[in-house]
Amino acid sequence: MAEYDLSNLSILIVDDSAPMRSILRSVMREFSVSRTLEAANGRQALDILEKSGADLVIADYQMAPVDGLELTKAIRMGSGRIDPYIPVIVVSAYTETHYIFAARDAGVNEFLAKPISANHVYFRIRSVIEHPRPFVQAKEFFGPDRRRRDVIIEGPNRRGDNAEAHDDGERGEMQNGDSGNDAGS
Amino acid sequence: MAESETPRIITPPNTLKSKVGVGGPKAVDPAVLKRAEEAIANLGDDYLDWVQEDIKKLEDGLSALKAAKGGGRDLLDTIFRVAHEIKGQGGSFGYNLMTLIGDQLCRFVEDMAEAGPPEVEVIGLHVDALKIVIANRMQGDGGQAGQALLRGLEKVVAKIG
Repeated sequence: MAEYDLSNLSILIVDDSAPMRSILRSVMREFSVSRTLEAANGRQALDILEKSGADLVIADYQMAPVDGLELTKAIRMGSGRIDPYIPVIVVSAYTETHYIFAARDAGVNEFLAKPISANHVYFRIRSVIEHPRPFVQAKEFFGPDRRRRDVIIEGPNRRGDNAEAHDDGERGEMQNGDSGNDAGS
Repeated sequence: MAESETPRIITPPNTLKSKVGVGGPKAVDPAVLKRAEEAIANLGDDYLDWVQEDIKKLEDGLSALKAAKGGGRDLLDTIFRVAHEIKGQGGSFGYNLMTLIGDQLCRFVEDMAEAGPPEVEVIGLHVDALKIVIANRMQGDGGQAGQALLRGLEKVVAKIG
C-alpha cells in the first residue's frame, strides 16, 4: 500500500451532520492534513471554494440546501474561481446501485459508503490520487470518464487473477462508484 | 463549463498528485491508520450523546404518527432520514446493530405511502430495539441477545410486509 504524505493538501468536508464532520475532522488530523475546511451544506461549500479553493472535496450525499450531487454539478460547471476538476468523494449510507449511478452521473470521482472507517477514507483518497480519470465534456455531461476500468477492489480477489470486473452489483465494485460498463459517457 | 456537441476528452492536471509526497514522517502508514481508527473510536462517548438525539427525534416522529392515528409521507420521511443517519453512523463506532436496525427501518418505511396501526407498531419496535442496543452498549453483533433482537425484528417485518 502506498503511503502518501497528505500534509500539503487542503480538504473540504461538507456534511450537515456535525458528528460526521467531527469524525472526518479527526481522521484528517491523524492523516496530518494541514488545512481542513468545513461546510454544513453545498451552498456553504461553494462559497468556501469560491473564496479559498480546496484540493479535494468530501461531501455528504443528502443535505439541504444544495446536496452533494448538486454541489458536484455546480463544481463541474466551473463558475467563478471554482476549479471544475476538483476531485469529489461523496459519502453516503445510500449504497443502492441507482444512488451510486446518480453520483457518477453528477460527476463524482469516488463513492464512500457509510458507516465509514479511517481505512476506507484513505482508500478512497488513494484511489483519487493514483487513478485520476480523464474528463469527458459532452452535451449533457461534464465530469470524470464514467467508463472506468482501473478499479482497486478492496478485500480478497474472490474471482482469481484473471477475473474481469463487470456490472453484477457486487458491493466491492459498487463502493468504488464504478459501473464497470461502457455505456456511460 | 461550456457544452460541446461532440464529446471531448480532457486530461486535467493532476494537482492532487503533485501536492502529495510518498513516505516520510507525515505519510499515512499502517500506524497512522491505526491511530486514525482509534481517533474515531475515541469519539464513542460523543456518539452515545449524538445517537440519543436521533433516538429522541424518532420517538417524536413515532408520537406524531400515533397522534395522527397513522401518517403520511411527510412523517415517514422524517423517520426515514433519522433512521438513515443512525444507519450511517453506528458501524463507525462499533455499533453494527444500530446500522443494521437503522437500515431495516429505512427499508420498511421508504416505499410506504402511509402507515396504519400495524406499521406504526413495527416502527415502534425498531425504536425500542435501537434504545435497547444503546442502553446495553451492545457493540459488534451484540452477541446472542443482539442477534435474537435482530431476528425478531426481521420476523415482524416479514409478517407485516
